[in-house]
Amino acid sequence: MASNVLISSTSFREALAKKGGVTAARCYQCATCSSVCELAPEGLPFPRRQMINAQWGLADKVAADPAVWLCHQCNDCTVRCPRDAKPGDVMQTIRALAVENLSTPKFLGKLVGAAGSTWPLLIGLPFVFWIAFIYAVNGFTVPEAPLAWHDFVPHWMIYAVYIPVTLWVVIAILVSGSRYWNLMGQGVTRSGSFVGNLIPAIKEILAHKRFSDCEAARPRKTGHLLFLWGFIGAAITTALIIVAMYGFKTPLPLPQTHWMKWIGNFSALLLLFGGLMLLANRMKGGQSAGASTAFDTFFLFVAFMVGLTGILTEGGRLAFPPQIAAWMYVAHLSFILCLFATFPYCKFAHMVYRTLAMVHERMTGVASR
Amino acid sequence: MNTMTKQPILVVGAGITGVSAALEAAETGCDVILVEREPAIGGRVLRNHNYFPKLCPPACGMEINTRRLERNSRVRVLTNTRVTEANAGADGWSVKLASAPAYVNDRCTGCGECAKVCPAKVPDPHNLGMNETTAIRSPHVDAWPTTYTLDRSACPADCKACVEACKYEAIDLNASAKDETVSASSVVVATGWHPYPLEKLTELGGGELKNVIANVNMERMVAPTGPTEGKILKPSNGEPPKKVAFVQCAGSRDVNHLPYCSAVCCLASLKQAIYVREQLPEAEVTIYYIDRRAPGRNEDVLTRVAEMDGVKLVKGKVGKIEQGQGDGLKLRLEDVEAGQIVETEADMVVLATGMVSNLVNGDLPMNLTKDEDNFGLDSLEQKVIVAGVARRPEDVAACVRDATGAAAKSVIAARRA
Repeated sequence: MASNVLISSTSFREALAKKGGVTAARCYQCATCSSVCELAPEGLPFPRRQMINAQWGLADKVAADPAVWLCHQCNDCTVRCPRDAKPGDVMQTIRALAVENLSTPKFLGKLVGAAGSTWPLLIGLPFVFWIAFIYAVNGFTVPEAPLAWHDFVPHWMIYAVYIPVTLWVVIAILVSGSRYWNLMGQGVTRSGSFVGNLIPAIKEILAHKRFSDCEAARPRKTGHLLFLWGFIGAAITTALIIVAMYGFKTPLPLPQTHWMKWIGNFSALLLLFGGLMLLANRMKGGQSAGASTAFDTFFLFVAFMVGLTGILTEGGRLAFPPQIAAWMYVAHLSFILCLFATFPYCKFAHMVYRTLAMVHERMTGVASR
Repeated sequence: MNTMTKQPILVVGAGITGVSAALEAAETGCDVILVEREPAIGGRVLRNHNYFPKLCPPACGMEINTRRLERNSRVRVLTNTRVTEANAGADGWSVKLASAPAYVNDRCTGCGECAKVCPAKVPDPHNLGMNETTAIRSPHVDAWPTTYTLDRSACPADCKACVEACKYEAIDLNASAKDETVSASSVVVATGWHPYPLEKLTELGGGELKNVIANVNMERMVAPTGPTEGKILKPSNGEPPKKVAFVQCAGSRDVNHLPYCSAVCCLASLKQAIYVREQLPEAEVTIYYIDRRAPGRNEDVLTRVAEMDGVKLVKGKVGKIEQGQGDGLKLRLEDVEAGQIVETEADMVVLATGMVSNLVNGDLPMNLTKDEDNFGLDSLEQKVIVAGVARRPEDVAACVRDATGAAAKSVIAARRA
């Protein structure tokens, strides 16, 4: 295909309009948005170009665009847009469509992409699965207090579920991620090694440097930072406990005073606190928050519920009768399953695509802002 | 004697539109009352140095009109006068007019002795407050009527300097306001516009950065009778600029400011680019635009400027202007054709601000149908005709054509049962 041939995709435009990007049609290409964007690299201005790509339905260009993920939805553009075309929302919608289109297999991307209507299924299925699984293994017999979770759900059950799901997710993400990486790389020269550029990109993400440059959406920075570190903390805790269990034969449950519990608790609090801040910002709404679509709220809700049910499980084991606490544990397991299984298909995937875009940005030399 | 209509036609606003409409209606044989709130006629047009596309001075066109006015006894001109009430009746309108006190009466010869002794200084409204003038003065060099005007609120207590200086007993500091109720068989609303306030464009440094001025300020600056006697100077230090940037659509076509296109700013900036290059051949000029709207014969101006040395036209709206080095200014935009973010310096920025309808603030107490942008709509049934920029943003030539149409419509409305 010659590069000067533009293919307009009607289905892309329809999907964009349906999922919250209908305002792209108002854009008259004045470029105020790019000029006020604090994140746009000098040589790769956005979102003006993305607005016309979206408006014209240039799905191929949109799919291969690193700028789509370099955008952090500060919404400085939306606040200043003279046409109220809401570039911030359009970029977010483009990202939602990108997650859907890059997903492997695609039907799962479509299913999760339609979370606005499919959420009962997406959240309900993990519940049904866990209840059925536990019933099949031990007839849902809740042991007497003092409750140890492995007496209720033995560890092999946990492994039997999460190890295959994790493997699946890793493969799906690898396939989708490399597809995006290759699309971005078409017709541009990258220099340096992937890993060598990945490390500074991750450092930047962990410090949330770019969020600080945002003006309109700066309130989101703290919430997002806490949320991210909550996840990282939860992952570290899980790893530590596995090492302790098998490496050091540490008996479970750990006493409440154990330092690993402290890390876990602290992470859960970060997750809850950060999640609440993000939810509050979305509920407050307004131009600086941007429009909230199912793409945003589904992931935020599920991740928040993982933190909440985690705290309830931990506290409930000691505070509530085993019959009630058991249900909290089931909820926790189900929300984790939901979060894991939808990772490549929901907003969670932005972690991967944005990181890739930031590495690409470094390797193509447009990173100097 | 009135052969065309029973009652006179009332024209509100004596800018180029109102004056033209009043004259054309009068020349059909109607009596006309022309009301102007300022002390002299001419409105916004006389604040322009030159018209586009021919770049000739507007005083010339206004002179022809004042001659026509002086020769036409059917037009009664009331300056310093506002409409304070307007009631529609079966036969037309009953309109209350309030004239400010005539502190200077028509015995005034315009000799200027009063201004020489006047101790009070006020911002000069004709020059948009860019310089100071005396409280008693000629409204401006092209003023008609030529009678002086006094800003009484600026007088120091018990000061009678001007009264004593006047040989013609033309000044009465105790003059009182005059009210009058007139009947009008139809009304032409030609209330015009005012510039969109610079202070509202904070993102572009409007009102904060000294060297960010509006197009209307540039117009006064270049006028030989203006605050700088025709010299283009940086307000920060009075030196001529070396790099001038024009920012198009500054607060226009923007839902956060004026949502519409004012139709004249592109040409105004192109015209002003010529001013700069003619006066300061060393100065670089860049015009940053979204679209270059130069329809009809105005396109010749665009072509002329685009081919000029030292002038660049760059597609991209300037999103941010900040203080740069010294008194310089830092502009940020995306050069759309290059696909690059550009951060550039200029030492003077002219914001191409748009036109706000004067019908916006309810100054004209008249039941009038307006569009969402506060521009008025005609109603032959109500015997109201809206003309010029009060109807929609347009250039001087279009206003004059509009005025002729409005004159005809006002006669039609007046003669309707």
